[in-house]
Amino acid sequence: MSILSFQQRLEILADSAKYDASCSCSGTSRQGTPGGVGGTVSSGVCHTWTADGRCVSLLKILLTNACIYDCAYCINRRSNDIPRASLTPAEVVNLTMDFYRRNYIEGLFLSTGVVRSPDWTMEQLISVARKLREEERYNGYIHLKLVPGADPLLVAEAGRHADRVSVNIELPTRRSLALMAPDKSRESVINPMRQVSGLIVSARAERKRFRTAPQFAPAGQSTQLIVGATPESDREIITLSEGLYRRLDMKRVYYSAFIPVAHDPRLPALPGPPLLREHRLYQADWLLRFYGFSAHELLDEARPNLDMRFDPKSDWAVRHLELFPVEVNRADYEVLLRVPGIGVRSAQRIVSARRHGRLGEVELKKLGVVLKRAKYFLTAGGRYLGGIRLDGDGLVARLLAPAKRPARLDQLELFATVPDASAISGEL
Amino acid sequence: MARYRYDGTFEGFLCVVARGLDTADESAEFLRPGDVAGVDLFTDVIHEVATERETALRFRERFVAAVSKASFGAARYAFHSQVAGVEALVWRYIRLGLDKGIRLHRMLAEEPVWSVNRLARRVAHEAHKFKGLVRFREVAWSDQTFLYAVIEPDADILSFIAPHFSGRVGDRPWMIHDLRRSQAAVYDLEVWRLIRDIDRIAAPAYTPGEEACARLWRGYFERLAIPERRNPKLQRQHVPVRYRRNLVEFGE
Repeated sequence: MSILSFQQRLEILADSAKYDASCSCSGTSRQGTPGGVGGTVSSGVCHTWTADGRCVSLLKILLTNACIYDCAYCINRRSNDIPRASLTPAEVVNLTMDFYRRNYIEGLFLSTGVVRSPDWTMEQLISVARKLREEERYNGYIHLKLVPGADPLLVAEAGRHADRVSVNIELPTRRSLALMAPDKSRESVINPMRQVSGLIVSARAERKRFRTAPQFAPAGQSTQLIVGATPESDREIITLSEGLYRRLDMKRVYYSAFIPVAHDPRLPALPGPPLLREHRLYQADWLLRFYGFSAHELLDEARPNLDMRFDPKSDWAVRHLELFPVEVNRADYEVLLRVPGIGVRSAQRIVSARRHGRLGEVELKKLGVVLKRAKYFLTAGGRYLGGIRLDGDGLVARLLAPAKRPARLDQLELFATVPDASAISGEL
Repeated sequence: MARYRYDGTFEGFLCVVARGLDTADESAEFLRPGDVAGVDLFTDVIHEVATERETALRFRERFVAAVSKASFGAARYAFHSQVAGVEALVWRYIRLGLDKGIRLHRMLAEEPVWSVNRLARRVAHEAHKFKGLVRFREVAWSDQTFLYAVIEPDADILSFIAPHFSGRVGDRPWMIHDLRRSQAAVYDLEVWRLIRDIDRIAAPAYTPGEEACARLWRGYFERLAIPERRNPKLQRQHVPVRYRRNLVEFGE
């Protein structure tokens, strides 16, 4: 075996790390210490964007891409014939400091394949975080992956150094997990999540009593689900996410369109990654977290999958025309949030501006409210803005008509091998 | 119509506003150093206004007390957009604010509030973006090294981003150089200062390790993109081509 240069190892490990969707560096705010290095910004900072349009904010890297497990969906599984490489903790620490000082990155997102044992692997990850915090006086963002099956004491230690910890569920059901990842049990994934959730809550309570009490993963925990590798419906996925947000106080669930990284009889043959479906799931996820929707309102047994033609909020509104139109000068904030095309910012501006004066169509436009879809669901000063009578089919046609491209679903089917780039907006 | 000549800074502008408040005249013309005053038959007097930090600070306090901190922030950010005619716009905004008080904040759909907010948002957005887009390079300088970054933003955002970097890279001296405006923020391990009229006369001498580090970053950046998800249009939306000149990862 030839000896790989540092550059080559870095590139091999970047290749292996890029399928993890998490990029967030938000959620904590820490001032830099005088003469020290690093701080965090609560809104997060994106540093650059790669050719796939995804943002780079963290140095997303694996300690090693060697792995004792053989999970079918994973590029790093034991049976996959790819070059393997590893970095020492000291190398990762130096690289992080070099990149961070030059402002290439906002922090470190360290994950790894599992070698020797889960405990040994977890200890390696922790040693990187400890060195950064204690030897380099590094005060920036750290996201550590938890290794399924690692000792609870190690999980607790990881959260003392890291801003965020995560363990990826990857597959929504126990059945799929057993099929695709025979070495991992559902418990080995869920148990650390429960533990982390408990530790976050108790550390937060403790810090209310003593300001100097130690923090535990102040930016919370996140996880990732692969979409399209197994036959679960959107309803199963969204319901699972809702449970994670409500019961485990999860900060983010990431959805990752399955990219066939290997040929395996257990995996479906997809023409390309289901990017549009991933996009719709993110939209539904936002409705759960910021718009007061419940999973059962969006999808039910009769309709287990999201409509690919338009966003889940429009879909919901079209099925609940009896609630519309609403009067923009009177409707509650919560009601405005449910109008298609009105987001959190628009709703806030409307509520603030209407205290000063009555809002008509012109004023709404000046506030930056996009009326393309919203007009069919609003009256302003009693005047209906949509221009057509509200009925189901006509409205659906109108909602779909403005799109210059023919329905995106068709496009996907016609040119199946080309990923539907237009479907992705915003950061993952 | 009154004409004022000031030094082009926000502090200087506040001094102009403080002085012009007593005039009932709504309209005004503002000249920066080097601007040639147009010929106007009726107003041949140009008021020269000196910048006094005390006056500016006192006016700021007055405005914040009468209106709000957020509205002052909007005026400050909008001013730094440096678009043509922004002084007259902010001038009207401030005068309206002193008249309406706290209500100014809610007049979102009315002029000049709408335009000021729009500009302020644009500048704040660019300033936030540049917290990520600044790229430091290690430069050898006599027997020490310091971190040097070049930016060419649309708006004058240096004073908005410099405090962020003094907290972030506190253990090295650094300099962020706005080439378009010939000014730089310089940090000497204690405080940062804004230095005007500073041009680059020669290419800086990078340290031997600098190119190696840049190469690592370029290689990493290239590999991080997922080929199946290629989407250059989305990439261009986030990193406009005009910003790429000064980004290590888009260089050779």
